[in-house]
Amino acid sequence: MVFQQIVFYSLAALTVLSALAVVTMRNTVHSALSLGLCLGGVAGLFAMLGADFLFAGQIMVYVGGIALLVMFVVMLLGRASDLHLRQVNSQWLAALLVCAIAGAGLWRVAMLPPAAAAPGAAMPTTLRLGQLMMGDYAVPFELVSLLLTAGLLGAVFFSELGKEK
Amino acid sequence: MTLSAYLVVSGILFLLGIFGALTRRNIIGILMSVELMFNAANLNLAAFNRFLHPGGVAGQCLALFIITIAAAEVVVGLALVLAINRNTDTVYVEEFNLLKG
Repeated sequence: MVFQQIVFYSLAALTVLSALAVVTMRNTVHSALSLGLCLGGVAGLFAMLGADFLFAGQIMVYVGGIALLVMFVVMLLGRASDLHLRQVNSQWLAALLVCAIAGAGLWRVAMLPPAAAAPGAAMPTTLRLGQLMMGDYAVPFELVSLLLTAGLLGAVFFSELGKEK
Repeated sequence: MTLSAYLVVSGILFLLGIFGALTRRNIIGILMSVELMFNAANLNLAAFNRFLHPGGVAGQCLALFIITIAAAEVVVGLALVLAINRNTDTVYVEEFNLLKG
C-alpha cells in the first residue's frame, strides 16, 4: 500500500509539474517537451487505474504521435526572436480568477466521494474493450474511423492551402 | 488510493489547461493547453470507471474515443496553423485579425 502511494504521488507530481511547465515556459520547444512528459505521467496514472489498453493507447497516440507532431510544428514555425517576446497576454489576472472559481467548485465535487480504496483487483480490459467496440459501440466505432479519414483529408487540404502564393 | 486523489489531480490538470488556453499568445501553446484538458477528462473517466463501476469498461471505451477524436483534432488544427502562418506570417493569436475587415 505504501509502495502504491509512493508511485501515485510521484506520478501525480510529475504530471502536474510538467503541465505547469507547459503553460508557463517561454520557449515553446521546452513547452512541447514538457507536454510529452505530462502525457507520459497521465499514461502512468492510467496504468495505476488498471486501464492497460488505455495506457498503451495513450503512449502510442499521445506520446508517440501528438507530442511529436506538436514538436514538428513548433520547430517549423519557431523563430529565434520568439525567445525575447512575452508569451502570455495581459489577461493573466482574469484567467487566474476564472481558474480560482472553477477550482473551488472542482474541489468541492472532488471531496464528495467516500474515501475508500478501489474494490477488487484490476482485471485486463483489452478483451472486454474489443467486445464492446464490436458490439454495443459498433456504430460510434465506424463513425470515428470516418472522422479519422476526414481528418486525414482535411490535414492534406489545409496544408496545401495557399501554397501557390 | 482514493477516488478523490485522482479527481484532485485531474482537476489541477484541467485548471492548468484552462489557464494556458486563456493566457498563451502562441497558437501552438493554446493547442497544447487544450490537449491538457482532454487528458484531464480522460483521467476522470478512467478513475470513475475503476472506482464506481469496476466490472465494466464503458468509461475506458469513451476515453479511447476521446483519444481518437483528439488525434484528429490536433492533426487538422496543426494543418490550419501552418496554413494561417503561411498567410499572416505570425503565430500570435492577437494578430489573426483578417476577419475583422
